[in-house]
Amino acid sequence: MVNVPDGRAALYAARSWAGMLLRALREFATRGNKRALLLTTASLLIAFLGWQFLSTFVFNPFLIPPPVEVIRTAIPMVASGEILTDVSISMVRVLVGFLTGSLVGIVTGVLLGRIRFLHDLLDPIIELLRYLSPTAMIPIAVIWFGIGEMSKYFLIFWGTFFIVVINTVAGVWRTPIARQRAAECLGANRLQIFVLVVIPSAVPYIVTGMRVAMASSFMSIIPAEILAADSGIGYLLQKSSMLLQTNRIFVALLTICLLGFLVDRIFRLFVDWVLARYMAFVSVS
Amino acid sequence: MLRVDNVRKVFESARGNYVALDGVSLDIVDGEFLCLLGPSGCGKSTLLNILAGFEPVTAGKVTANGAPVIRAGRDRVMFFQDAGSALFPWLTAAENVRFGLRVRKVPKGEWNAVVDNYLQMVDLDRHRDKFPAELSGGMRQRLQIARALAVEPAVLLMDEPFAALDALTRRRMHSVLLEIWQRTGKTIVFVTHDIAEAIALADRIGMMSVGPRSVITKVLDIDLPRPRDLGNPQVARLFNEIEALLAPDLALSDELAK
Repeated sequence: MVNVPDGRAALYAARSWAGMLLRALREFATRGNKRALLLTTASLLIAFLGWQFLSTFVFNPFLIPPPVEVIRTAIPMVASGEILTDVSISMVRVLVGFLTGSLVGIVTGVLLGRIRFLHDLLDPIIELLRYLSPTAMIPIAVIWFGIGEMSKYFLIFWGTFFIVVINTVAGVWRTPIARQRAAECLGANRLQIFVLVVIPSAVPYIVTGMRVAMASSFMSIIPAEILAADSGIGYLLQKSSMLLQTNRIFVALLTICLLGFLVDRIFRLFVDWVLARYMAFVSVS
Repeated sequence: MLRVDNVRKVFESARGNYVALDGVSLDIVDGEFLCLLGPSGCGKSTLLNILAGFEPVTAGKVTANGAPVIRAGRDRVMFFQDAGSALFPWLTAAENVRFGLRVRKVPKGEWNAVVDNYLQMVDLDRHRDKFPAELSGGMRQRLQIARALAVEPAVLLMDEPFAALDALTRRRMHSVLLEIWQRTGKTIVFVTHDIAEAIALADRIGMMSVGPRSVITKVLDIDLPRPRDLGNPQVARLFNEIEALLAPDLALSDELAK
């Protein structure tokens, strides 16, 4: 038997820990808090030293090249512009696929959310297709579009579209009835309610969908480039693997980490800067 | 004048039909403050939604100045309990008030004067650039009042607007509302389950029976001068009288809940 009070205590403890962690992260993100900055630096330093220790004394340095070695490999790759070329190729692919996928996803989601008939007609199709991950679509994408840019755009689009659609529909549906009725009383017609009330109310959901889709784009571009490309970070990974260049593999992996982190930061800055007023949450009463 | 004539409202659902209102009749006179009072589930909100034009009637007739009420009209504005969802959180206080002017195509040149006027009336002019999330519960309700008044409706429909506020703020809102009502001469239909609130505000109280098949059992004229303090023996007597009238319905309401 599970002891209920103990279970609950554990749950509360976990929740408060999670809350503390979230608060710390938020503080770090918003204020550049000194303490949080210090801790982040410490955390990265520990990771760096731990990594150095493990690869030097515990594992074979060929399998896990030490960070100093990785940096030494990275310097000429950065200096020659090689890594930058791969990064920009991958980034363009992600951005084109992500932006078109988001745009089409938002438009579709807004329409499905507002027109019940359309939703009931198309939702089953979406519900089935969304289980096909971009990776599952690589073989057919290569046959349809070849190994050029188009197949990458398509795969990222595919991964983005469904996530954004589902979140947008949820956002449209969650627009409070009271808010729509209030607008109606104030004299808004159906189109005005839709454009001036429903869409702004859905923005937080759309943004969340886009952030999730952004992460998924980063995860999909790599397999796509590994399996079917002659450029990009994924191709760099694949090529280095064939040549057993673990140093270069680690440079590529590190690049992916930094890139994802950076892009999400930029996205959030953009949201804070342009969409802040739509993200406000007013609690009940 | 709003006229409710023998209105019947049936909600149909897969689990069966629910007769919410069954033969409700009521005349609402221009400029009066009418409270609809009754226990939870007596259909007072349903009646208000019908008056607003949000819900169609199943049978009977609702007219505003002789014209049938079939949709939300610009002469009647609804006021909601949950200001958090009713306000537009991405707009500042001033922009919330401006919304109605904008969609009604009031000339742009007049916007600022109207917005200033009504924000001042509810004492929010110093907070015009704040977002709803930055306002307190009472301030949000005052903002809702300003937003509703700005489109100059003849009738304010209020669905338990102050039920979620603390007692002090609620009393303050009562005097704000009464003052505005006396100044502007609006017709107010105010739904509440709070006897003291109904007595404090209303010219007339329409008492509703518990559902299903709710009707208006009695309309009381409240002839006492305002402010009506419960310490006043006449007010206290009225309170007890209404409580006694509601008692069987409250018992029935409990019975139904079981």
